[in-house]
Amino acid sequence: MAAKLYMFLPETAYLLMALVLFLLSLPKQQPKGRVYVWALGLSILGVAAATAGLTSHGLIFFQAYRVDLYSQLFKLILSVAMFLVVTICWPLTGVERRYKPEFFLFLTTCTLGMMFMVSAVEMMTLYLSLELSSFSLYILVPLRSGDNIDVEAGVKYLFIGITASCVMLFGISYIYGATHSTYLTDIIKKLPLWIHQPAAAIGLLLTLSGFFFKLAVFPFHFWAPDVYQGAANQVTTYIATVSKAAAVALLIRLTSLTGGTSLYLSYVLIVLCVISMSLGNLVAIVQKDLKRMLAYSTIAHAGYVLMGILTMNELGYSSAVFYTVAYMIMNFAAFMVVVRVAGQGQDLKIADLAGLHRRSPLLALTLMMALFSLAGIPPTVGFTGKFLVFAAAMQQGHFWLVLVGMINATISLYYYLMVIKAAYLTEPAEPAPALVIGAPTRLLNYLLIVVMTYLGVFPQQVMTLAENAVKQLIGGS
Amino acid sequence: MTAAFPYLSLIMLAPAVGMVIILFLPHDSKRAVRWVSLISAAVSLLTTLYVWQAYDRAAGGLQFVERTLWVKSLGIYYYLGVDGINLPLVLLTSIVLFTGVWTMWDLQHRVKEFFALMLLMVVGVYGVFMALDLFFLFVFYDVSLFPMYPLIAIWGSTRKEYGALKLTLYLLAGSALVLPGILYIYFKSGLFTFDLVMLSKAGLDPDVQYLGFFLFLFGFGVLAGLWPFHTWSPVGHVAAPTAVSMIHAGVLMKLGAYGVLRVGMYLCPQGLVEWSPLFAILATVGIVYGAFVGLAQTDLKYVIGYSSVSHMGLVSLGLATMTLGGVSGAVFQMFAHGIMTALLFSSVGHIYDSTHTKMIPELGGMAKVEPRASFFFILAALAGIGVPCLASFWAELLVFINGFKVYPVLGALAISGLVVSALFMLRVVQKTFYGPKNEKYAECADMRLAMIWPRAILAGTILLFGLLPRLMLDTINVGVAPLVELFK
Repeated sequence: MAAKLYMFLPETAYLLMALVLFLLSLPKQQPKGRVYVWALGLSILGVAAATAGLTSHGLIFFQAYRVDLYSQLFKLILSVAMFLVVTICWPLTGVERRYKPEFFLFLTTCTLGMMFMVSAVEMMTLYLSLELSSFSLYILVPLRSGDNIDVEAGVKYLFIGITASCVMLFGISYIYGATHSTYLTDIIKKLPLWIHQPAAAIGLLLTLSGFFFKLAVFPFHFWAPDVYQGAANQVTTYIATVSKAAAVALLIRLTSLTGGTSLYLSYVLIVLCVISMSLGNLVAIVQKDLKRMLAYSTIAHAGYVLMGILTMNELGYSSAVFYTVAYMIMNFAAFMVVVRVAGQGQDLKIADLAGLHRRSPLLALTLMMALFSLAGIPPTVGFTGKFLVFAAAMQQGHFWLVLVGMINATISLYYYLMVIKAAYLTEPAEPAPALVIGAPTRLLNYLLIVVMTYLGVFPQQVMTLAENAVKQLIGGS
Repeated sequence: MTAAFPYLSLIMLAPAVGMVIILFLPHDSKRAVRWVSLISAAVSLLTTLYVWQAYDRAAGGLQFVERTLWVKSLGIYYYLGVDGINLPLVLLTSIVLFTGVWTMWDLQHRVKEFFALMLLMVVGVYGVFMALDLFFLFVFYDVSLFPMYPLIAIWGSTRKEYGALKLTLYLLAGSALVLPGILYIYFKSGLFTFDLVMLSKAGLDPDVQYLGFFLFLFGFGVLAGLWPFHTWSPVGHVAAPTAVSMIHAGVLMKLGAYGVLRVGMYLCPQGLVEWSPLFAILATVGIVYGAFVGLAQTDLKYVIGYSSVSHMGLVSLGLATMTLGGVSGAVFQMFAHGIMTALLFSSVGHIYDSTHTKMIPELGGMAKVEPRASFFFILAALAGIGVPCLASFWAELLVFINGFKVYPVLGALAISGLVVSALFMLRVVQKTFYGPKNEKYAECADMRLAMIWPRAILAGTILLFGLLPRLMLDTINVGVAPLVELFK
């Protein structure tokens, strides 16, 4: 029993965190900062629990819940990303004061849902975990004080999200029809036999849709720009980092069910990948709002991740995992700058960055590193990630896909350079005051810069971890 | 032969260490920043000179090799080494870096960032020249390119933002072809290694070589200023600040030609054989086109920019001949043109700083106003024309002889291009440095004595290798000879 509880350690930590935050949300008046301290402390505890549970493995809850290196690695990624997001929630601008405990509470339940999700190996469990995280986000997105745009973003997110869920349920029913089981262990035995049938392939594709939505892959990308712009900056950061990692985890898990044999599926994925990359990058060029631009760049990056996944082999999956880690770090770095520069929690136009290198050289440097990393310029982690997924795609003989990917990377460089230009070259129309950032934020900046470079130059450790995780995924299920 | 001491890493990492130190210096300590840059450049230069002198020409092959496993699962090695082909180019980089830092001594605007970026760029350049692992080669290639954007956009002049953006996008579009090429070769070889030497022995399928060479030719060719992908180059040169123009035209463009040579020709010799007619035609068009367009320019930097296009065309033509003399000539030309262009930009940089113009019609009689700057410009211009006893003469001679032998028509056209370029260079010299003086600039100061030194080093190098070409050619031939065997 104790061993089984230990397997559930990261989730237990987050359940505890949710409980504490729930209790904190009950009193009407809050002492200033108390909730934040609790949230920060508990999220550190969450990271510690996820690290401690990294190597545990086994099956619990009637074989519906699988704990292995793959799931634990993603739990670690999720908890680290969650911790990073919490660090930039002080001061919590853009969210009304009385909702602060709820804000942290729903962040926690959302992450908890995703943790369940990466371990779930039974379709219904999977679906319920997904809904737990989705509903938390449906509440978080409209939780913004001030202007009118938030309601629209929230409604849009809700509707598209629910549609994706329905599509996914429909897909699950097809898979159930083909294999007579909701357990992934049964499905993986039967599905490769059936996968050449249109019904099974369509079923799987529709099931994937739920996660395409989370990852903002074409054609489920419509929410991204509005939600990124409409949600509070911290919530956007959360959606752009934590939420993506969970989506990739599940896309890989479900795609691996085919046993790497489905040409049918891989063609569809290639098309989605190419359209996502090209559409995201081309539309990003004309954006004026920084968060909107990053939303379109997210769509493009979803395409790059798909490129790793659609190879359906070990190298591809592990490079997609690596890319997810890379993407989480560099995207977080970019959004951290957004949160810090937008002191009142307002939306940030690219032009508002003018003179940033003078107002805060450190933030400007972090932004430049993050953008170069997103553009895939070595020696940053973004380059290494791109290199790995491109290598995986080339290994499967997708020469043209790699070429399109590289051309897209060049296009993306244009709009990233425009942001760098704004931060480094243009002077503000009216003199802007220097941005004062505290010592913890400074430390965070240095840390991000170092990590982005270190993982770019020395990818070996993370890559080995990803490879081992993927081996357990493919070998174990 | 593995090196006992990592000399090559020292050459490459000295600027990197310099850069890191600079990043931690306070913003107002301009003096310290300059000294750190100069000292790290000097360390690189001295180590390079040692390696140059210690390289065993009788034994040939790769020497001073360093090889460490980096990423096991993909077969990536940290693998450096020099042979007769890249040794001259490393020397070129060291000389241009050292003189470039010195030339920029008087810079006042955002000094810290400038030198940090410049050193970072040079780390990339060294890396490309010395890396024998395709992954690292590509990484260094991009590292050497992206600092160009801020360097030009912040410290540049004429249409700097446009120039910087155009240059960056062109060059990275080029690298967008290179990376698929590298991965393509990697998987087609079936060896699962990025080791250039092992891959070159893999005996790739002719079809693979055909496509591979195409990707490398146009991918690297953009940076080599291959016509019609050269348009970024004059614009970029004109916009860039002096030292960046020096490094950029002097060294960076050579990266492109070196990439075609080291990656394209080494890995896909049969591909070159197939593509050589197209390669030679594009090269010749570049030579003639650069010369004629140069004729019409009124901006000194544009003149140099177009003459660079023309001269880099010569490098390409030399490579396309696939003969020992032609390829050696091309490598020699890379070196000679690098030094010569650096000297040209360095001199123009001074003229521009003192007069704030680089328009030929506005200048005139500068030889009387600024005799020192004029001397160096004219010397470099003469070298560019191919006057005997200067380094470029031998290089151009080798390329022309072999070009004429292999491609008689194209060779003849190329020689006519040279005549035109001689014409326009002499015209520029005549209009800028002789003739009536523009009184507006009569009071402009000539170079300070200390600032003569960097130019003198460059001029000395041109003369040294002009008078003793064997010094260079013996080294180059050692490296080129085994390569040429691949085309038979």
